Amino acid sequence: MKGTQMKLLISIILVTISSFTSFAQQKTPPPPGAARPLNLPKITERKLGNGLTVILAPLPNVPKVSAILTFRAATTGTDRAAHPGIAQIAAGVANEGTDTRTSKQIKEELRSIGGSLNLGSDADQTNLTATALSEFSSRMFDLMSDVTQHPAFPENELKLAQENTIQQIRANRANPGFLVNERFQKAVFGDHPYGFVVPDEKSINALTRDDLKSFVARYYIPNASHLIVVGDIDVDKTFAEIDKAFGTWKSGALPPDDNPPVPMRDKRQIYFVNRPGSVQSAIYIGNVSIARKHPDYFAIRTADTIYGSSFYSRLTRNIRESKGYTYSPFSSSNTQAKTGSFLAGAFVRNEVTGPTLLEIFYELDKMRVLPVTDEELNAAKEFSTGNFSVELASQLGLAGRINTIYTYGLNKNFIEDFRPKIEALTPADIQKAAAKYFDTYHAAIVIVGDWDKVKDQVTPFGDVTMYDAEGNVVKSE
Amino acid sequence: MQRSVIKLLVVAIVMTLSTAQLHAKPVNVPVVYYKLPNGLKVVISEDHIAPVVTVGVYYNVGFRVEPKGRTGFAHLFEHMMFQGSANVKKFEHAKFVEANGGSTNGHTDFDYTNYYETLPSNRVEMALWLESDRMRSLDISDENLKNQQNVVSEEVRVNVLNQPYQFFEWIELWKNAFTNWNNAHNGYGELSEINAATIEDVRSFFKTYYAPNNAVLTIVGDVDVAEVKKMVDKHFVGIPAQSTPPKADLSEPAQSKEKRVSQPDKLANLPALATGYHMPAQNSPDFPAMALLVQILQGDDSSRWYQRLVKEKELTLDLTGGLNYFGNEFDYTGPMIMTTRTTYKPGHTADEVLKEMDAVTADVVAKGITDKELADAKVRFRSNFYSQLESSFGKAHLLSVLALFRDDPNQINSLLTPFENVTAAQVKAAAAKYLVASNRTVIDRVPEAKSQSGQQGQQ
Repeated sequence: MKGTQMKLLISIILVTISSFTSFAQQKTPPPPGAARPLNLPKITERKLGNGLTVILAPLPNVPKVSAILTFRAATTGTDRAAHPGIAQIAAGVANEGTDTRTSKQIKEELRSIGGSLNLGSDADQTNLTATALSEFSSRMFDLMSDVTQHPAFPENELKLAQENTIQQIRANRANPGFLVNERFQKAVFGDHPYGFVVPDEKSINALTRDDLKSFVARYYIPNASHLIVVGDIDVDKTFAEIDKAFGTWKSGALPPDDNPPVPMRDKRQIYFVNRPGSVQSAIYIGNVSIARKHPDYFAIRTADTIYGSSFYSRLTRNIRESKGYTYSPFSSSNTQAKTGSFLAGAFVRNEVTGPTLLEIFYELDKMRVLPVTDEELNAAKEFSTGNFSVELASQLGLAGRINTIYTYGLNKNFIEDFRPKIEALTPADIQKAAAKYFDTYHAAIVIVGDWDKVKDQVTPFGDVTMYDAEGNVVKSE
Repeated sequence: MQRSVIKLLVVAIVMTLSTAQLHAKPVNVPVVYYKLPNGLKVVISEDHIAPVVTVGVYYNVGFRVEPKGRTGFAHLFEHMMFQGSANVKKFEHAKFVEANGGSTNGHTDFDYTNYYETLPSNRVEMALWLESDRMRSLDISDENLKNQQNVVSEEVRVNVLNQPYQFFEWIELWKNAFTNWNNAHNGYGELSEINAATIEDVRSFFKTYYAPNNAVLTIVGDVDVAEVKKMVDKHFVGIPAQSTPPKADLSEPAQSKEKRVSQPDKLANLPALATGYHMPAQNSPDFPAMALLVQILQGDDSSRWYQRLVKEKELTLDLTGGLNYFGNEFDYTGPMIMTTRTTYKPGHTADEVLKEMDAVTADVVAKGITDKELADAKVRFRSNFYSQLESSFGKAHLLSVLALFRDDPNQINSLLTPFENVTAAQVKAAAAKYLVASNRTVIDRVPEAKSQSGQQGQQ
């Protein structure tokens, strides 16, 4: 009885206090609380007898497990000249049947473990990404191992994939996002393998089952691969499951990397993909930048944040929030093994195509000519380090981040060093990086739109080469 | 003889094990739920796996209830919530969140509009302050409205008008499948109506729907409940309640015969087909069985429709769909259709595609599904559910809609039960009842003939 009265009294006092403090609307932003512990997952690296590097990180946020197996098989190399698109098609068909499982059996097995398994290739690597309920992790590893070691490339599945890939590319050629990206990669990287986006129909149809089998035998090898596993796992038990599934995988000699160096662009040039009927111009502006391992990585990344890759970026404030030209302007720093690209982009209504080019260039040049403010730089640093911890809190986010460390041969302490490296940057570092890589003078300007509607706004910015949606050079009148 | 007994025994043990494992890790999300005197629902869930927090504010207003003549208005209004408030200048919401290491966004859906910030957990009060400032004192000006009308018009152009297919499996399907304007109209909006909105429209929408008694505030992550409660009091208690918004009529008469529509597409290169079947209400006893049937028909690459159309008959390039176009089983309240979208190959017809889809459903209606199919669909369902719980945002989203629509976020811990209890007979019965032609709308989207010059070009 007494206790209850006492409690009542306390809660009345509390209510009174909170009423006093709460009615006024606070005019200034509240300061941060004390920093919380990072709780970084412990990352363990081990090796199998056949040379496969295994990286394990327990992150039991949900009872699931996520894995990325990376083969250093890419759309680069001599294979590319002989068989354009072979890495993509191999990745697409590897999980459509093995020596002991049909395509349908693989899909049904995935459903019964609550899992997924996808392969994809980019310019540097082929990634096999798989997930499952953690209670079924050993079955997930068995499936991953099977499509890695014993893909059968059944004739009917290959034929279907060839036909569907051709149709899918035709469908994509109606999409301005696909077209602007394809033309940009070719404009920036030219004939270099990094400029490769999709194979032509003849190359797709020329691929045979034997081509794919020998490609996989040469490139999907354990001693040139790494397997990253993140999730609700026990390190020793999971490693034993991996050893059992992948232990018999035979090692081999990786074909030498014969990529040529990427030539630098020598002039500013407009690449216009004519898409009659477009109600917007899709614009990408950019140039060659740096490889992932380059020491300027942190500076260009931060310059990109300030310029256009954060929401409160200069580009968004200018052409969206001030001028209303566009919904989602952006910039992006893409760094790969040999080199990378930096680009700024926006999709804008036809009438403001020219003014948008002007503003994108103005903001790029401003980054090169004037130092960023301390306030902008501090905000960009907080943005990078804060969102880095959000990224590491998801299984595939952490796995993907670890993957960049191994794929590009970065310092193994990359995750721990991230914050100090970002915090060390000065306004001069940002300006130096921008001056070097936001190269407006030699930029590729790629536009997908309706030429008749926007040509007068575009031609003042440089010489124009015109293409159709199939990628053919066409006359500009 | 001996051998097969042993095998049977092993199978039995394995089955027992897997059944036991099936329930080995029950969902256990801590939930603190209460209401402020002004009616604001508050949900707090601690999770210390990473130093991250998500703050979400969910308003009980979606595009179904926007005014007639103002299609797209609920979404335009969402943009206005980033245009400043009494103590936060235009667009500074993004500045404050990002300069504190976070990210922010908003989304307008059928029945809710949400705003959220994910940031380092020691910055939780920043997000609370920002959300409270705009809930209490949104700053609305003509200039900012004009600016966001332009921005939203470009959003509609980039996602709808300049794209092949133009979102037809949402916008066109809803227009045709529903008869009640609230359900049927284009929620992204017609450009002319987006640009006709006035400042008075914005003010009145804000006053009607953006009140604490029409909202849920959810905080999920590495925080201390007692400390966060104090911050919530400090920033939200003083915001006045408003009168309860009028309840919109979302009732939809039952469909009695099949609707078929053919539409030309100026931009697409390949034909595509979309179908929509009216779903039973979420509180119907048929709902969990339908959810699993959706999984079995089109949930993944092993599903019956995918296998038949893409793999066996080689008629279509892809097949995607689900029971709620934008979300999941729990984050809507009005009538809903299960949608399917598939791009089919030139030289074939929509009738051929439909015939194969119907053959699959006829087989389910006649023979039902196998026990293994059902068990696997449940595993898939559970796995997808866990994926939603993986991020602080995903968890905040589920807790928010459960508080908003059911006044009971604790249901997050028992949400799977009705789906785990579905029988094969119920799935078969659901197929017979709902997957009938008279309950569906079909749209065939056919590319307009255009010049084929350069079609064979290579690069």
